Amino acid sequence: MAEVDVKESRGKQKHSKKKRRRVGVRIDMTPMVDIAFLLLTFFMLTTTMNKPQAMEINLPPGDSKVDVPASNLLTLRVSENGTIYWNLGTEKPEKVTPAELRKVLKEKNSANPKLITLIKVDRKGKYIMMVNIMDELNVSDITRFSLAPFDDKDKQLIEKI
Amino acid sequence: MPKIHRKRVGFKLDMTPMVDVGFLLLTFFMLTTQFKPSEDLQITLPSSHSVFKIPGADVITLSIGKEGQIMLGVDSELLREALFGQAAKLKGGVLVQTSELANLLIQARTRNPRLKTVIKADKDVDYGVIEDVMNILQKVNITRFNLVTELDKN
Repeated sequence: MAEVDVKESRGKQKHSKKKRRRVGVRIDMTPMVDIAFLLLTFFMLTTTMNKPQAMEINLPPGDSKVDVPASNLLTLRVSENGTIYWNLGTEKPEKVTPAELRKVLKEKNSANPKLITLIKVDRKGKYIMMVNIMDELNVSDITRFSLAPFDDKDKQLIEKI
Repeated sequence: MPKIHRKRVGFKLDMTPMVDVGFLLLTFFMLTTQFKPSEDLQITLPSSHSVFKIPGADVITLSIGKEGQIMLGVDSELLREALFGQAAKLKGGVLVQTSELANLLIQARTRNPRLKTVIKADKDVDYGVIEDVMNILQKVNITRFNLVTELDKN
């Protein structure tokens, strides 16, 4: 049955049943908060904080040619199977492991500050070799390097070893 | 008169601050998250120590897959439509042949000269493909570009 609330002035009814007056409305927020936390976990798990990094390369304009004396040239050749060979000027190429590369680079560059590093990677070699070598150069603070095509002469030179 | 102590059955915890922080984090993550554009090429990036950030806008991305497939992607929808037609508007990138690449790059650069070039190549791709791409870039006078790598933790 419907109850009718008869309002009576407060003073008189002090001892009667207390009816609490609702001030404002109470909404159950639990579902909303649940969803919010669900979304929060979702975004936290899917977000990728580390943006991929990049290496910057500056190529010389196509027609520029610089003559470098052979003695100032350190050539790094990477063969098809990923072996790295280094040589100074016209010396005989020597094998070097990727771990030792940094040492060689540092040594040679401190011995001759004018040194220019030439990177030659076999066309069938892997891209990662080039990135690794350039990374080594960057880590050792060697900014004077360039990329050159790996031709048959290089191949023959390496095969002799 | 002794005070009557009501025994507490369970207790109420004020969750408001937690919920506040929760919402704060939620908004933060919602605003900072960027969904990876669906990629048609699976690329494992090589890792390096380089900490150069890739540019955020006006980018031409040259994705190079494991088998040497080249995919050209432009971040602006308009430019993409102009270059590859209506069908490619919503796609991340379009597979291109090496022979078309020079032309497309020139077209893209004439439409938006501020475009920066980014090469995103799989670490196991043959170097020859990269060499070809770099030669093309050099030919069309893009002498400054970025190679995307992952940060090496060591």
